[in-house]
Amino acid sequence: MLKYTLRRVLYVIPILFGVTLICFLLFNVAGGDPAAQAAGKYATAEQIRTIRHEMGLDKPLPLQYWDYLKQVVTFDFGRSWSTKQNISEMFLEGVGPSLTITFPGFVISLLLTIPLALLLGYKRDSLLDKFSMFICLAMISISSLVYILAGQYFLSYKMNLFPISGWDSSWSGRWEYALLPILIMVVLSIGGNVLFFRTLFIEEMHKDYVRTARSKGLSNKTVLTKHILRNALIPIITLTVLQIPFLILGSLLIESFFGIPGLGGITVNAINNADFPVIKAMVVILTILYTIFNLLSDLLYAVVDPKVRLE
Amino acid sequence: MNEIIKKLSLGAAGLCFVMAGLSGCTKKSTAGENALNLSLTANLKGMDPIYANDLYSNLVISNIYETLFQYQYLKRPLELEPQLADGMPQVSKDGLVHTFKIKAGIKYQDSEAFPEGKGRELKAQDFVYAWKRLADPRNKSDGFWIFDGKIKGFNEWRDQVSQGKADYDTPVEGLKTPDDHTLVITLTKPYYQLYYVLAMPYSAPIPEEAIKKYDKEFLNHPVGTGPFMMESWTHNSQVVLVKNPNWRGEKYPTSGENGDEENGLLADAGKALPFADKVIFREITEDQPRWLNFMKGELDYIGIPKDNFDSTVQGDSLNADMQGKGIKLSISESPDVTYIAFNMEDSLLGKNLHLRRAISYAMDTKTLLDKFYNGRGIPAESPIPPGIDGYEKDFKNPYAEYSVEKAKEELKKAGFPDGKGLPVIEYSTTNTTTARQMAEYTQQNLEAIGVKIRINATSWPQFTDKIRDKKAQMWGIAWSADYPDAENFLQLLYGKNVSPGPNGANYKSKKFDDLYEKALKLPPGKERTDIYHQMRDIFVQDLPWIVNIHRKDYLLYHGWLKNFKYNPIINGTAKYLRVDLKEKAAQMEKL
Repeated sequence: MLKYTLRRVLYVIPILFGVTLICFLLFNVAGGDPAAQAAGKYATAEQIRTIRHEMGLDKPLPLQYWDYLKQVVTFDFGRSWSTKQNISEMFLEGVGPSLTITFPGFVISLLLTIPLALLLGYKRDSLLDKFSMFICLAMISISSLVYILAGQYFLSYKMNLFPISGWDSSWSGRWEYALLPILIMVVLSIGGNVLFFRTLFIEEMHKDYVRTARSKGLSNKTVLTKHILRNALIPIITLTVLQIPFLILGSLLIESFFGIPGLGGITVNAINNADFPVIKAMVVILTILYTIFNLLSDLLYAVVDPKVRLE
Repeated sequence: MNEIIKKLSLGAAGLCFVMAGLSGCTKKSTAGENALNLSLTANLKGMDPIYANDLYSNLVISNIYETLFQYQYLKRPLELEPQLADGMPQVSKDGLVHTFKIKAGIKYQDSEAFPEGKGRELKAQDFVYAWKRLADPRNKSDGFWIFDGKIKGFNEWRDQVSQGKADYDTPVEGLKTPDDHTLVITLTKPYYQLYYVLAMPYSAPIPEEAIKKYDKEFLNHPVGTGPFMMESWTHNSQVVLVKNPNWRGEKYPTSGENGDEENGLLADAGKALPFADKVIFREITEDQPRWLNFMKGELDYIGIPKDNFDSTVQGDSLNADMQGKGIKLSISESPDVTYIAFNMEDSLLGKNLHLRRAISYAMDTKTLLDKFYNGRGIPAESPIPPGIDGYEKDFKNPYAEYSVEKAKEELKKAGFPDGKGLPVIEYSTTNTTTARQMAEYTQQNLEAIGVKIRINATSWPQFTDKIRDKKAQMWGIAWSADYPDAENFLQLLYGKNVSPGPNGANYKSKKFDDLYEKALKLPPGKERTDIYHQMRDIFVQDLPWIVNIHRKDYLLYHGWLKNFKYNPIINGTAKYLRVDLKEKAAQMEKL
């Protein structure tokens, strides 16, 4: 297992190499001329030339790519072209607020939807199941913007339950602003999660071991919680673990509507402004996290499912 | 199983209550504080004046930093007055040497950058230092245009720095400081816009100590001479400014334009500024939260979002509901122009005047104004907007008229009767929803006369690249004034400014260019205004653009906010604004 882990960790290197290369090429093909952007609305050809030189953009492409690789290794991505802020600090400042919303939202959603899906799977085709399915389908069919707009308008503005928008960077102060976004985060994920988990549970419920367990005379509760839940958890865990790296990216819409200074907004601003250094950093960080969590997911698979051996 | 359902629903309900309760307990109120609560509609980038290239940075920075000049707050048309300068400068006979006296005794705010943390006195050398920073190519500021080619030896200094042959100690011939309170600028040629650009935050003085101390982090640690200083800034969330105890002090203006007295704008005449102890700028990029915060009284003023306009304003007045809440409406002309530009180097559009005229006649600008701007603006007749020297209210551009008939006639003259034989024209725009819809509107207008266009919507950087590389055929864009002089608009059409410069249409006319150069040498006055009119007439005949709209700013403010008067060119206005706390407490009850 240790050997397997080590090998997988080493895979990060070629993956990073490939991802950075694609990112670099894409940016150079479609990204727009950053020197001209930096030179502004009164740019002259001479000014653009000077700035291109200062940005190192007049170097040959392989050399520019080499500089990028050096940044990846040293983890020093320099400064944003558009805001001139230190990228590592931008990242550190943004990751907290993003996770404050997405992580609790993610956990609460799992805690709510897994039992609910188990229940619906058990009561399959009952009125409750049909009704819940209908609701879940309706919930995922409605645009997330509707939940945000309606939540903000009714709960914050009309009913005064939450502040309309804003942020407090202290740990004690931020919850006031985080609660409604978290609530919406949970609501947004309920429909999809319940439908997905319910399918997994139903699949399990028809397997032979369940029939065996029942024929042994085990109670409903034991069959559901000890047998079905356990087995269905395997795909649930492995799949949800893979979602974790994306939590740090935050939720763009929720962040911009609630004024949360998270990474979602930073990333989108960077893309809109052709802010390559920030995009480069984001791509690298996400790639690393994704490969790590991918590995973690595989390792967990072996832990929760005794049938799996990692070699 | 019912048990589980019960538990689940109880749990969910409980969660909601706990969340609501938690937030209720900690809810803060801004009512009692003598603070201005303002909003920024985009995220603030940084507070280094050399990067103050957008409205939002300017809005904040200009309360912390000051410049040699400022605009008189109330007067229209805009008028400059000295700010850090001690009176107007002495000018040599040839108009090239400008000698500024700097007010004595002006202190920077206290900062760790100074010995013992005490703000030192402002010196003339700080201007030279700050302007060198602006010019230093390593800083990649886009603000150097304010001095580019204008100050003796400055461009040479810039080039030498780029080659590593000069540094900040290398003198610049056109920037001299005979003593700590005298600054002498020597120009290469007359530059009557000089004083305007010296009112832009780009030109604010900066103490060298602050750069030594903070280096690249200076953008997060502003050190200025202004009425306010930064207390805190949570990036992408909010900036809080507090009164600067070292500020030199200033009095509220005692004169304004007609109607200011009646509108209560002179009630505080002669009183000491600033009125507020604190200024909070909240970065709120979406319309709904900004609107709801305003309606709750959490913001003092706001631009009316497009979607809230019809339910708020009828004609040019507020509806009864809003009036009942003590909300007021401010309407002001925005010094800008939106337009559709043609690439004059394009083999089709650039060479066929009748085709351009046909397109111009086909554009129904009135409907565009109603549909996309809620009628907030006036149809433009020329590039020069109201409130700017060179604007003429009664001027009519014959091709701005909407007439399908005339358009078809011109199209025939262009050699494409009913559009027959005319290739599809590419129309470039940005990929925001509104920009796309406006492009589609143009498409419909032109479809009606048989001209087909294909919309190419891209990100802003790709869009501007396309124009800069002369690859765009026609596109929709806008220009807002940096200073109140028609030159700021006419330079967009000057032959020497073609792409990659600001003349994206690549329009070249010898007659126009000669007049432009002549106007540059003239001080403001009738002679210059006449030349501006001649240039406008040449523009109309050549039609390198179809001018669309001069926009108007419709802003709402709460009755408790006193002395509110808006103009996007005027910066650093927080010092004039006063919150009537008693009135606010009473009004908040009604919201």
